[in-house]
Amino acid sequence: MTARAGDATPSGPPIIVRESLQGKYSGFASRFAAFAVDVGVSLGVFMLALAAITFAARVLTGKNIAWNKGDPWVILAYAVWAFSYFAYSWAASGRTAGMALFGVRVVRDDGTDASGRQAVVRTLALPLSFLLLGLGFVGILLGDRRRALHDVIAGTAVIYSWDARAARLRFLSRG
Amino acid sequence: MNGRLGPSMEALAQAVAQRAVEIVVSALDVNALLDRVDLNAVLDQVDIGQVLDRIDLNGIVERIDVEALVEQTDLGAIIARSSSGVASDVLDVVRSQTVGLDEFIARWIARLRRRPYTGPPGPPDGLHARAGS
Repeated sequence: MTARAGDATPSGPPIIVRESLQGKYSGFASRFAAFAVDVGVSLGVFMLALAAITFAARVLTGKNIAWNKGDPWVILAYAVWAFSYFAYSWAASGRTAGMALFGVRVVRDDGTDASGRQAVVRTLALPLSFLLLGLGFVGILLGDRRRALHDVIAGTAVIYSWDARAARLRFLSRG
Repeated sequence: MNGRLGPSMEALAQAVAQRAVEIVVSALDVNALLDRVDLNAVLDQVDIGQVLDRIDLNGIVERIDVEALVEQTDLGAIIARSSSGVASDVLDVVRSQTVGLDEFIARWIARLRRRPYTGPPGPPDGLHARAGS
């Protein structure tokens, strides 16, 4: 009986117990979960801003503003806000709120800090990965360095910035 | 004569008494004695209410400087430390679960591609060099 190719994983405890993972290329689930949180955060903040504007307008002019989700101006405003949110976060610290939560970070493809230009290019190229029927994300699953299309275009990669082994030891010490 | 014999008789009497006590104590079965004592009956005779009435609890509490005690205890730091500990634990659990899912997906992809999987790739060369320097 021969072992299947995919079974060639090292035996013993799970990888987060054995390795720190810090600096290794991040996997699909962590990246997707971080992105989902970011979409939620950016949408939530945008809705709050719209509600604040509506409230201010009612107080100042006495008129109600009805926002239509399909309104091109609303869509454009959200696009500008989302661009600012992602580009600024990646340029400033290499991570958005969702990425900070899941312990992942955007870096230059050689592992050094990503530049502001790379952050902007990455943000502009991100929709392209969706527009190609999601094929832009296949690289995360199949690539040796787990890079999506927007990573390749911007010259970036996403790594774990979180020390799994230290977290495990911290947990055991509190035990 | 009486004056000379007095001290020696007294010492002899003391030695005899000590020896007698030792013999009695060694012969005594303390466990058997305790078995025969009805502790419940003894406790029934103690009026705890009366004992407590004689203790001035308010007086004792008044003598404790609670404010000084609180001032000496950095409650804010304790609360902050315990809250940050809980938050850190939750964060670690969330990240661990997600990394587990990362590994599960990666292992299945490797299985479908009939390639061995030895863990997440990396780190990038630049990061490796920086860590080594």
